[in-house]
Formats: sequence, structure tokens, C-alpha cells
Amino acid sequence: MKPPGWAQLVLWAVAGEKEAEFVAGDLHEEFLLLWADRGRSAGSRWYVRQVLRSAATLLGLRFRSGEAAHLLAAALVAVAMPLLLLDRLWSFVYSHIPLKDGLERAPGFWAANLVCVCACAALCGSLAHSLPRAAGVALAAAAGAACALWCSTATAPILYAGLVILAAPASSMAVFVWRRPR
Amino acid sequence: MKWVKRIAIVLAVLLIVPMAALLVLGHRKNAGVAQAAAEIDAPPDRVWSWIDDGDKLKQWVSWMVDVKYPDPQKTNGLGARRVLVMKDENNGGALMQIVSQYSEYAPPSRMTVDVRDTEGMFTGDETYRLTDLGNGRTRLEVRGRFHYSQWFANLMEPLITPQAEKKMAMDMAHLKRLAEAKAQLQ
Repeated sequence: MKPPGWAQLVLWAVAGEKEAEFVAGDLHEEFLLLWADRGRSAGSRWYVRQVLRSAATLLGLRFRSGEAAHLLAAALVAVAMPLLLLDRLWSFVYSHIPLKDGLERAPGFWAANLVCVCACAALCGSLAHSLPRAAGVALAAAAGAACALWCSTATAPILYAGLVILAAPASSMAVFVWRRPR
Repeated sequence: MKWVKRIAIVLAVLLIVPMAALLVLGHRKNAGVAQAAAEIDAPPDRVWSWIDDGDKLKQWVSWMVDVKYPDPQKTNGLGARRVLVMKDENNGGALMQIVSQYSEYAPPSRMTVDVRDTEGMFTGDETYRLTDLGNGRTRLEVRGRFHYSQWFANLMEPLITPQAEKKMAMDMAHLKRLAEAKAQLQ
């Protein structure tokens, strides 16, 4: 009897290392009671509602403790910076075309960005030593990627933007899970 | 220490390997050469005016905003110069000036212009060759050869040239549409 996995992951991502276990434990207990009393879907709905309602407060606590700020800074440096540097590099390439070209990037350039962002996010994920930290890194990596997309010169295709925002946290979590001692 | 090693390996893969590949590719036979061709349903003299007339040039070369003539008395012909002003949105919308000087002028079949940008980023030449295919049709071939003065731009040449070629083909397709539409009207 487990609550929805994605809601658990959001909880681990927004709550600090200290709070995550207590909050998750309390919510899980309530979830089990509701499951037994009103069934699985009611329990899951309640769990998701609680996670979403407390996300902002937990994130605020994490920021105040300084942990989220560190994670965000790390993700910005590790994920957003390479993406922005690549954007500048492609701008440089297009600027050197003798008769100039548009802002649309070649598919190969988008692919290079994607590989780079996955590698950098994976590196971040490999440095996380606990689930709350890994989930926080993944969330910060997604935020960093979104931030870089927003600041870039070229308008990114929707498919690419979606892939980057999903691939950054996914690679970060994948490497954490792979490295986690069993 | 183990992680420093791993980070160094990732950096090497992300930076050094692509740079080495670029360095090797930069020495290929056709480095800096971009070419495109199109068959246009218009006679050579009509097509010629689209590449020779500055006002018409602005219509089919994207991001070209102006064509200036340093010597208004001599706008074309051997030795004549024109300054192509390009708006570069990849460089914050900065205006780039490219000096183009005719080094070969044989209307309506062949034209070569030496080009260089005023900031010393690149030099090169572009040759336009028009072949009369009969029945009011023309084959237009453009071949540009460019050399990048700055070391980093020179390193990036294997990425720049294919994009330049793509842009050249797009412009040619635009020229073909315009020239054919005009020829039909006339």
C-alpha cells in the first residue's frame, strides 16, 4: 500500500533532508488509515492534495535552511550555464555565416544541447547522497534547464524544450538510483 | 579524488573530444566552401539583374537591410564596390557590414566578388555562374569560399560552413520564386 510515486517524489524534492522523513512518515500513516477506511483512490487523492498544499511551505523552509539555495545554485551552474554557453556558441556560429542566417538552430545543435544537459544533470545526480537531496537536485536541474531555455536567444521547438526539461531531472535521478547502495 | 577524475573525464568528453573532431574536420578538402545551385524558369539576363542590382539583392537575401555604394558613379563592373549591410539577430541585432568588390564581371554569365567584413572576421569570394538552358531557363550556380580570421571561428568552421550552405540554398530557393514570379508577370 503505497501512495502515488510522483507525489512522493515531489515531497522529497521540496522538503529538506530534515523534514522529508518526518513529513513523509506522517502523511504515510494518515494515507494508510484513509486507505483502510475509504479505499485506495480516496487515500491517494488526499495524499496528493496534502503534498501540493504543503509544497510551498516546505520549499520555503528548505530555502530558509540554505539547503535549497545551494541546490539551486549548483543546478544553475551545472545545468543552466552549459546550456546558456552552448546557446552563445551557436549564436557565434550563426553570426559567422557570411550572409547571416536565422535564429533557428540546426537539429544537430539541439541534440548536442540535450546530450550536454543530460551529462551535466547526471553528474549533479551522482553527487547527491540521499533521496531528498537527489530529488531536490532533479527539481533544481529542471528549473535550471527551464531558466536557460527562457534566457536563450533562439526560440526552442516545443519538443526540444519538453525533452530538456524532462531529461535533466530524469538523468539526475537515474544516476542517483543507479549509484545508490542496495 | 575518484570524483575529480570522473568530472575530468566528463569534461574531456564534453569539451576536448568535440574540439579535436573540429580541428580534424577543419582540415578537410572543402573546408570553408559553400555551394548551391538552382534551375530558374527565367532567361539569364533577368536572373543576372537579381544578383547584380542591390535593391533586388535585398529582396532575396534574408537579413540584408541595405546595400550601399561607396562610389555612386560606379555601382557595378570590375573593381566596383558595394557594402552589404546585414542585421545580425544572433549578435543582438547588430548591423554587420560586408564589403563586396567585383573581381570578375561578365554579364549575363559569370560574376565573382571578393567579400570581407569590416570587422575582420572573415574574407572570401563568391562566384555566380549562369548557364543558359534554352527555352527561357537558366541554371544558377553559386560557390562561396571563406576563410575565418579569428582562431575560434576558424575552429568552428566545420559547423559554420554547412549552415552557410543551408542558408545559401534557402536564399537561392527564394530567388528562384521571385525571379520566376517576375518572369511570369512580364
